[in-house]
Amino acid sequence: MANRNLKINIFRYNPAEPEKKPSMASYPFEELPGLTMFTVLNRIREELDRTLVFDFVCRAAICGSCAMIINGKPRLACKTLTKGLPKEITLLPLPVFKLIGDLSVDTGTWFRHISLKTEAWIHTSAKFDPTAVEERMDNETALRIYEPERCIECGCCIAGCATANIRDDFMGAATINRVARFMVDPRDERTPGQYFDVIGCDEGTFGCMGLMACDNNCPMEIPLQYQLAYVRRKMAAFGLGGWKGTGRTGEPQHHRAGRSAS
Amino acid sequence: MQVQRSIARNQRMELFLDMAELVSGLLLVGFLWTHMIFVGTIIINPNLFNALAAGLDRYYLSYIGIPFIIVIFFSHLVIAGRRIPTRFQEQKIMWRHASMLGERDTWTWVFQAVTGMAILVLASIHMWVVIENWPISAVFSALRVQRYLWLYLVLLFVGEFHAGTGLYRLFVKWGWFKRQSVFHVIETITVLIVVMGLGALWVFLRLGVRVV
Repeated sequence: MANRNLKINIFRYNPAEPEKKPSMASYPFEELPGLTMFTVLNRIREELDRTLVFDFVCRAAICGSCAMIINGKPRLACKTLTKGLPKEITLLPLPVFKLIGDLSVDTGTWFRHISLKTEAWIHTSAKFDPTAVEERMDNETALRIYEPERCIECGCCIAGCATANIRDDFMGAATINRVARFMVDPRDERTPGQYFDVIGCDEGTFGCMGLMACDNNCPMEIPLQYQLAYVRRKMAAFGLGGWKGTGRTGEPQHHRAGRSAS
Repeated sequence: MQVQRSIARNQRMELFLDMAELVSGLLLVGFLWTHMIFVGTIIINPNLFNALAAGLDRYYLSYIGIPFIIVIFFSHLVIAGRRIPTRFQEQKIMWRHASMLGERDTWTWVFQAVTGMAILVLASIHMWVVIENWPISAVFSALRVQRYLWLYLVLLFVGEFHAGTGLYRLFVKWGWFKRQSVFHVIETITVLIVVMGLGALWVFLRLGVRVV
């Protein structure tokens, strides 16, 4: 069978040259077996247009750098085969994130901000002893932590989220998923109230309208609907007084949300 | 940090509003489906319809239920409506985003916002004309359907779409069941109710012809 002749339309704009209006450029491309969008972009840059800007590092769906809108859907370029796409392929940069140029956006600053805002690290008073035997964890808990941990922070869920597209402060599925990861981790000593402070709000779990574009488009196929619903239920249970504790010690009985815990 | 935002911050209120959205939505779907089944009794027999209406009236259920539902109806408008973007730019982003993604759940949300506004107008007219010609009876209803047929046709479709989609989204957000199964169950119920509603409208139309 003869190889298809593809037409690749790419969004072109350099914020550093505002006098040049945003435009779409078209490149012809002969399809090869097993061709990914990652290869297409690299060959276009090498052979057709050296000014094309896009991100990639690992080419194996690990780094999350090459996320972009491919024919309307947020996808990783390295994980998207041309085979499943029509002959005409349109590439746009991810919305929500700051545009660097053409298909390149700054997801790093966004994710760092969110990490700091939700304090996305283990909060523990235990002193680390490098000589001690590692603490054990049951397999079920380990798997429940591992599932959200697979997030590569590519930004596809954020770009696909209608709420994140119109509300600048909405934290989105990647963030809520990340908080869920700490909520199930027995090493994290944060109280339900402290999680409520972080995520039990309109910018967090209560801002989600359930449009599920995050769940539909996650390249890592993390069960985001489940993660979002889990956090929403936990936060509602705490807010309504039903989630008193998790068996951890030193937990205040009546933590008032929105005020500092004394 | 912005002082005004920190002072006005109330996360428990944000939770309360989310819960109020859930509860008011559930109550309205429950009401709408019950209401449609009650209306559907006209298909079986006008006397059954009359007896049901008279029964609800006699035991004051109409006088408790109707004001209650009106309050819930307008509360839901305010509570669920707070999610609707108000600025033109935001509305344009929503529309472009839905077109770009081409996903069912994003599009249905856009149509929910639109049908919500349509329901506000149409259901208000419906409530007004029903209460104005109290009590409810097959003859009055038949005359009403004959006069406002287009209103009822549109209201049936937008109402059921809005309620079904809203209920689906509640289940999605709270994650009690698998979302595809929930979708198919609600879709089936919605189609059945729309068919029943169309049947009821047809019976009312024919009754109307006989009465006039």
